[in-house]
Parts: sequence; structure tokens; C-alpha cells
Amino acid sequence: MVIHMTECKEIIQVDHVNLWYGDSLALRDVTIGMPDRQVTALIGPSGCGKSTLIRCLNRMNDLVDTCRIQGTVNFHSKNIYASDVDPVDIRRKIGMVFQRPNPFPKSIYENVSYGPRVHGIKERKQLDAIVEKSLKRAALWDEVKDRLHDSAMGLSGGQQQRLCIARTLAVEPEVILMDEPCSALDPIATAKIENLIEELKTEYCVVIVTHNMQQASRVSDYTGFMYMGELAEFGTTRQIFEAPRETLTENYITGRFG
Amino acid sequence: MADKFHDEILNLKCDVVNMARFGRTMLNDSMIALQLQDLEMARGVKGRKVTLQEQHDSLEDRIFTMIALYQPVARDLRTLVCSLMIVQSSERIGRYGKDIANATRHLADTDTTGNFISIPHMSELVVGMIDDATLAYEQENLNTIEDMSKRDDVVDSLRTSIFRECLTYMMEDPRTITRCTHYVMISRFLERSGDHACKMAEKIHYMVTGERTEIK
Repeated sequence: MVIHMTECKEIIQVDHVNLWYGDSLALRDVTIGMPDRQVTALIGPSGCGKSTLIRCLNRMNDLVDTCRIQGTVNFHSKNIYASDVDPVDIRRKIGMVFQRPNPFPKSIYENVSYGPRVHGIKERKQLDAIVEKSLKRAALWDEVKDRLHDSAMGLSGGQQQRLCIARTLAVEPEVILMDEPCSALDPIATAKIENLIEELKTEYCVVIVTHNMQQASRVSDYTGFMYMGELAEFGTTRQIFEAPRETLTENYITGRFG
Repeated sequence: MADKFHDEILNLKCDVVNMARFGRTMLNDSMIALQLQDLEMARGVKGRKVTLQEQHDSLEDRIFTMIALYQPVARDLRTLVCSLMIVQSSERIGRYGKDIANATRHLADTDTTGNFISIPHMSELVVGMIDDATLAYEQENLNTIEDMSKRDDVVDSLRTSIFRECLTYMMEDPRTITRCTHYVMISRFLERSGDHACKMAEKIHYMVTGERTEIK
């Protein structure tokens, strides 16, 4: 298998990673780089390991007792699985947005200011500024600026998802991981998130897992196709969707699978 | 859903092949009519213009619909792009046949000059190129179009030599001017048809390999 590396500077490098849940091998010798200020999409059928891979990137798999990992995941050339690395610090720098919007049952303001407060910012003015900046970056500010102290649970699904993105941005991450961020949203809310991803990539490295291949082709610069725990093909999104090298990729994206 | 789409692509390809052969046969028949000076046959070729146009419009419409409804990628997308190109080229080729059939009317009942010079030979080469491009598209196999560039060079040089030859005839005998001007035009139509065969070959290459190429 030929893996064509990206031409951009890679902020995350996954090197020969194997991962087991108990006895079953979920990732098989995966090597992939995530370029800075670009969107990388991971696609593949259910159970192919794309969510497992994205969860490796900020040690979310630590929370699964039976999970065992081999190989290295370098972030700024430092292995995030090294013993002296604090996973909480990693998860601040590498934020994550999930499939279903999961705002805290608190106000909009508190949702966004929660992270910075945990990290020790107490001053009201400073928190106000962070909340405004984060909501603006998440393209939600104009819709909620007059009701910052209303419950976040009253927002629509798409707004809640953007709030979750704002909450991630509030702690100033460098990488944003998105695991199926639009699969619970309608097409209009999806379009807003996709536009947002386009803006976010000017400042952040974005990695997105998606079942929706059109979404991958619309929003990403690079695409990795995963199959049965392996990275079957990786390349520019244009190459993957115009002329994939692997027959497996071709069959999957054209719906000839199975 | 995907199966339905892939069945539709297969059906589309059959119809595109039929249209390519329809356009190619218009060109070929117009040349036969010219050589036999058969006005009835030439009229028959001109009459097929309407069907040609209908095939073009309906196939183009089907391809646009398939792109809009299925958002194809990879080889499916390349196949549709290539099919669209072949539909357009075939329509042009058929229309050149109609143009040659038109010229036949002006050339009938006059003596041929220099036994049509090399025009019939040129026509054979061009029709062969179109046939091989159509076959390559049908079978998704590049073997028959590998030497397309060389064959196009031969066609181009034939056109140049026909032009020169006609010039000498016209200078020798001004009464041949009308006829020879038609010959020059016909060789131009054939040369353009050969170019269309090359364009088809380029897109077939893209369809099969995913790489763009230029046939010069």
C-alpha cells in the first residue's frame, strides 16, 4: 500500500498504531498525518475503525478499560501516549465535537465559559471576551447574543452543535476533532456546520469522521479511507473522489460494496 | 440504489455507443454517396440529422439528470463525463457527414478531378479512428486507441497534401475551382472528425485510468 503523505506541515503524526479492544484488533498498523490548517476526513463503512482512530488522537480511548494501544501518536513531534503527558492537557489542545450535540444543562454563557474557568480564568471581563470570541468563531453569536443566560437546552440541534464547537474553541485548542458532527442535524444546520468548518481551518487543524461521503468531498482537503481497521488509502480529497488508486476505495465510494 | 444507478450507467453506455455508430455511419455513408455520386443516398444522410439531434439532446439530458440525482464520484463520474464528450463529438461527426452530403449535390453530374485525390483514403482512416474510439469506450480498453496520435498525424498530412494538390488543379484549369473548393472543404470536415476521434480517445483514457492526457 502506498501512503502519499501530505505536502503541508503535519501537526499530528500517527505512526504504526495497533489498537485492541480486549482481544479484538480494531486498528491495524495505521500510519497517517494530519496537516495543520487543513481538513482531513476519515471515511469508511461502519466498524472500520475511523471513530476509534479519531479517539486515539486525544486519548479518548483511555476511558475504555479494555483498550490497549501500540505505536505512537505524535503531536508537535511528542508522543501523546508518553508517561509524562497529562491527558487532560492533550484534550484541551485537541478538542472534540461529538455526533449528538451534548451541551451542559446550563446557560449558553456557562457552557462556553466552563472550560476556561476550569483552567483558572476567574475574571468576569476576560470570560465575557472569551465567550463572545468563541461564539463568534462558531458562527453562533448573532443568534444568541441577546439570550446568553438562557438555557442551552432551548437551542435547536444545529445551534447546540455550534455551541459545542464554541465550547471547544473557548479553551484555545490547536486541533478540532469531529466525530460525525452533522449526522443528527437537518440539511440547513449541516450546511452551517460545513461553512463553519471551512472557516475554522484557517486557524485550526480539523479532523472529521463522516459517513456522508458527499460531506467529506465538500469540506475536506485530505481524505483517508478506512476498511477493517486499516487505512486502505489516503490522499487529497480530489484524488480520492476523482481517481482513487485502490479498487476497495473505488468500490466503497461508488456504492459497489459488498 | 447504487445498483439501479450502475444499471443506468450500463444502459447509457449502450445508447452512447449506438449514437456514436449512428454519427459515424452518417459520415461513412456521405462518403459512399459522394463516390457513387448517389444523390438519393446523400439525401438519406441529410434526413438523419433530426434523429442525430434528438439522440444528442436526450442523452445529454439523461447524463445531466444522473449527475444531479446520484452525485457520482470516481469511475462513475469519469464515465459520465466521457459519455457526455462522446455524445457531443458524435453529433459533430454526424453533422460533418451531413455537410459532405450537401456538397455531393454540387459535385454530382460533374467529372471527378483526379479520382477524388486521397479523400476516400482519408475517410477510411478517419472512420477507422472513430470505430476504434467507440470500441475502446464500449470495452473500456485502451488497446485500440494507443496509436491515435500517429493516425491523426497521417490524417493531418493528407489534408495538407489534398489542399496543395487541389491548388495545382485549380491553377491549371479554373473550371475545377468549384469542385476543388468542395474537396478542400470535405478534407477539412474529415480532418475535424479525426480530431473528434482523438478527443474521444483522450476522455476514454481519462475514464479508464483517471489520468488526463493530451493527444497531439
